[in-house]
Amino acid sequence: MNSSTSASAPSSDVVPCTDLSCRAPLFILLKSSAVWLVLSSLFGFLATMTFHKPDIFADCSVLTYGRLRGVSSSMFLYGFCLQAGIATMLWLFVRIGRTPLVHGVVTCAGAALWNLGVTIGVIGIFSGDMTGFETLEMPRYAALVLFIAYTVLGIVAALTLRNREPGTFSVSHWLLIAALFWFPWIYSTANLLLLTFPVRGVTQSVIAWWYANNLQFVWFSLVGLGTGFYFIPKLANRVLHSTCLAAISFWFLILFGSWGGIPNRAPVPAWMPALSTIGTVLTVFVLLTVAMNACRTLGCGIPNDLPEEDRLPLRFIKFGLFAFLLAGAMNIIGSLLQVSSYTDFTWFVPAKAGLQSYGFFAMTLFGAIYYFAPTLVAGKFWCPKLARAHFLLAAAGVILGLLPLAIGGVVQGSQLLNPATPFMDIVKHTVMFIRISSIGDILLLAGNVIFAINLIGGIIRYYRAQVEVIYTAATADVIAAGGRP
Amino acid sequence: MSVEPKQSTTSSTPEPKAGRTPVPVWLVVLLFILLYWAMIYFDSYGGWFSPQVYAPYHSTNQLAEYQPPSGDNEALLAGKKVYESNLGCAICHQNDGLGKPGQFPPLAGSEWAQGAPSRMIRIPLCGLSGPITVKGQAWNAAMPNVGSILTDDQLAAVLTYIRKSWGNTASEITPDMVKKVRGEVGGRAQPFTGDELSKVAE
Amino acid sequence: MNYGPLIFLAAFFALATSWFGFVLKPQMQIGQLSQTVTVPGNDTYPLNRAGLAQQGAEVYRANGCASCHSQNVRQFGTICEVVLTATGTNQTALIAALREIKAGASDQEIASFLTGLPKQLVIGPSRAVADKAVDSIKSAGGKTVMHIKPAGPELARGWGERQSVAEDFLYDSPVMLGSQRVGPDLAAVGMRLSDVNWHLRHLYNPRLEVKGSVMPSYRFLFEKRKLAAGASPDALVLSAGAGVPADAQIVPKREAIALVAYLTSLRSQEPLFTAPYSTATPPASSGTNAPGTNAPVAGASPTTNSTTTPAPAK
Repeated sequence: MNSSTSASAPSSDVVPCTDLSCRAPLFILLKSSAVWLVLSSLFGFLATMTFHKPDIFADCSVLTYGRLRGVSSSMFLYGFCLQAGIATMLWLFVRIGRTPLVHGVVTCAGAALWNLGVTIGVIGIFSGDMTGFETLEMPRYAALVLFIAYTVLGIVAALTLRNREPGTFSVSHWLLIAALFWFPWIYSTANLLLLTFPVRGVTQSVIAWWYANNLQFVWFSLVGLGTGFYFIPKLANRVLHSTCLAAISFWFLILFGSWGGIPNRAPVPAWMPALSTIGTVLTVFVLLTVAMNACRTLGCGIPNDLPEEDRLPLRFIKFGLFAFLLAGAMNIIGSLLQVSSYTDFTWFVPAKAGLQSYGFFAMTLFGAIYYFAPTLVAGKFWCPKLARAHFLLAAAGVILGLLPLAIGGVVQGSQLLNPATPFMDIVKHTVMFIRISSIGDILLLAGNVIFAINLIGGIIRYYRAQVEVIYTAATADVIAAGGRP
Repeated sequence: MSVEPKQSTTSSTPEPKAGRTPVPVWLVVLLFILLYWAMIYFDSYGGWFSPQVYAPYHSTNQLAEYQPPSGDNEALLAGKKVYESNLGCAICHQNDGLGKPGQFPPLAGSEWAQGAPSRMIRIPLCGLSGPITVKGQAWNAAMPNVGSILTDDQLAAVLTYIRKSWGNTASEITPDMVKKVRGEVGGRAQPFTGDELSKVAE
Repeated sequence: MNYGPLIFLAAFFALATSWFGFVLKPQMQIGQLSQTVTVPGNDTYPLNRAGLAQQGAEVYRANGCASCHSQNVRQFGTICEVVLTATGTNQTALIAALREIKAGASDQEIASFLTGLPKQLVIGPSRAVADKAVDSIKSAGGKTVMHIKPAGPELARGWGERQSVAEDFLYDSPVMLGSQRVGPDLAAVGMRLSDVNWHLRHLYNPRLEVKGSVMPSYRFLFEKRKLAAGASPDALVLSAGAGVPADAQIVPKREAIALVAYLTSLRSQEPLFTAPYSTATPPASSGTNAPGTNAPVAGASPTTNSTTTPAPAK
């Protein structure tokens, strides 16, 4: 099968069967995550519509704001981020280790199971089974399916990793391996202690905050940086500046980054927010070392000797890196006691989380996907115009959608601190920022739709080409014999 | 597709020897400064792992310092609890003692609440119905005998609370006073009217 | 030397530290939390919610109310206030004590303290200073009352009488503290908005009760019935502007009644050892008997002993 396709593709000196070995499972993972991404943007947009027209879904319990928010968040985090993240992880293990993916069929089954889990979870949220914990909205029964799916995919990843060629262990490997075993740990802890055998009282909130921080600010950073540390030197055709600095990023991220997340002045004993603030402030070293590494590797701007197909992924990853640094800075500053009285309970919090998960993680994954999807078909995959449009819409959407929220949050916070300001005045002032953010949401939705069309179009084109080749081969002797197929 | 030979110079080389720049010194200095800050921060705000210390308190000693002194407040607290409880007075007369226009007269500034104790005690014990003037306004409603199920202590506490809140400056009511009035009304089932109450002396 | 397993182990333990710190230790410390007692009063706190309120908590969870409302009142400081309530008989000693407390005050100001009691004497964050004032007045024969007041903008806004602590959420599952204040904090909403009908009308259409509200309407929690079917005693009393036709009535469903029971049960106001405050008598309200409003309970303002926020509750 491989020989017939590579005849139509430009010859490459990649070992084709390793990349191609993960085609089927990665196609499933990627197309599903693209669909979930579009759905999450759509429902997120519907949710923000209630700010402009509050009566819009008044008669429909399924589409009430709280459920839309929960659904949108779950689809984005579990349907897109985790799925595309795992896909990228698998490809990186295959590519860096120069070994084919083991048990492709099992991986496909795992991917299908994951999507089943997300579907069940979303239907559960719509029907009123939302858990009440942020970033963990999907009910217990869906979480079980997701956990089983992750176990399957994780075992496949671990086996592929074990088969790697000697001497290929790299910086990205450290980060990805840590991510590989950290997610099942935090996910199982959160589901067991919050949903299955719930702990008592505010202990639930502490564990929920721990999980949310470790998912968004640790796991996403691990996989995102792992991806970035591979692609930045590769795409820029340079050497990664310093492994030492990368090691510092890794160790500080897992040692101190995992301690963040407990908001100041929470109804928990004071030592918890204090330790959380200390951990978050110490992640400044992650930001500094990543910034130094990236700047010294990339230099200024994008090198001119890059082939066109590599420029776009590099743009996405660079954008993601800026967003990582900004989100990290917002996280650190927002965790300080004095500042948190301005930013807690305001729009600053979702802006910061959005910048980390969408601005950094999703954009980095887009860059990676734009790079490795063509390697799966050993040929052309994307429509470059759509890809460029996606980048512009996504970048504009992130900036327009999240930065006004951050500013609006600080305004809201400073007004909340003045007890003489009536609450409705505060609401009135923030609505303007929400309106601008809704425009950003529309741009993001458009960008995601274009991405999905591009991706699914590429997959369809590939399989159609396959069918054509098989059809031609099957009917060749009939034609040669002068008959009609 | 990018050409693979680049791979040999990037992260897939074994133990990358290229790119081994040492850690800059200022990073280490910054680390020590931040660790020092962290110790001070935890000392000030961490409450030293005590389960009882919540922000903004710094230690259990400071928390113990800020406990309210016992005394007058206890009696009023008990009365406030009864007032705001589910079977209590706040449901109609509201937490702020202002009542509701057309429905429930106010207790804040009310001459009935601040007047003679025996007059006031009778109202919750037996109820009140018919026309009555409160603070110059005419009211005509029915109040059930919500106080009859309370003990002497509870009724005394809640009436004292009413007489000392929202600007009311009347004297307190003791459980003995309540007991005496209970004896006087006997087993009366009929609510009092405004006229009957005005005739109650002392 | 194969560093791989060593690095793996080290990474494992690095990540595990946060599990120890934020899962295991909290479970050992506050996971075993049980009921506490109020201070003073020695009453058990908290009491478990009534069944209807528990069901209401489920409605709150299912509809994602926590995505806009928080349930966490925060305290930023503490204020000790000493109020002179009685002068006693020994005027000279009292004036001497007052001079000591109010250093630098003129004779006229000192004299003004002797009339128009009760008068605020000392207000500030230091308990030691307050104690000293109480002692010197006491030894001069006067009487004082000390109030411990938690300070903070949220308390001044009337959102609660004290900060939220772990015991407030002892019986909640799930604990929905929320992370957003698109709407006001609900930790003590049952205290300032105790009218069930207000809540029902507000859920039906928030703009009926609060002008300019962006909260979505929850009409699906209610059903519209024809009046011809018999007037229901639970029907909402709505004004003409609510847009309900004359032959119909709006009757809350069980979910709405449960949700409102839950909201009115949210009253974390008992003083505890971990969140101490003096329950002073509420001062005279500046609000009037204006229809449709429910002026907030006087949460004592930290700076003055005067009246509360003039705007309607929220």
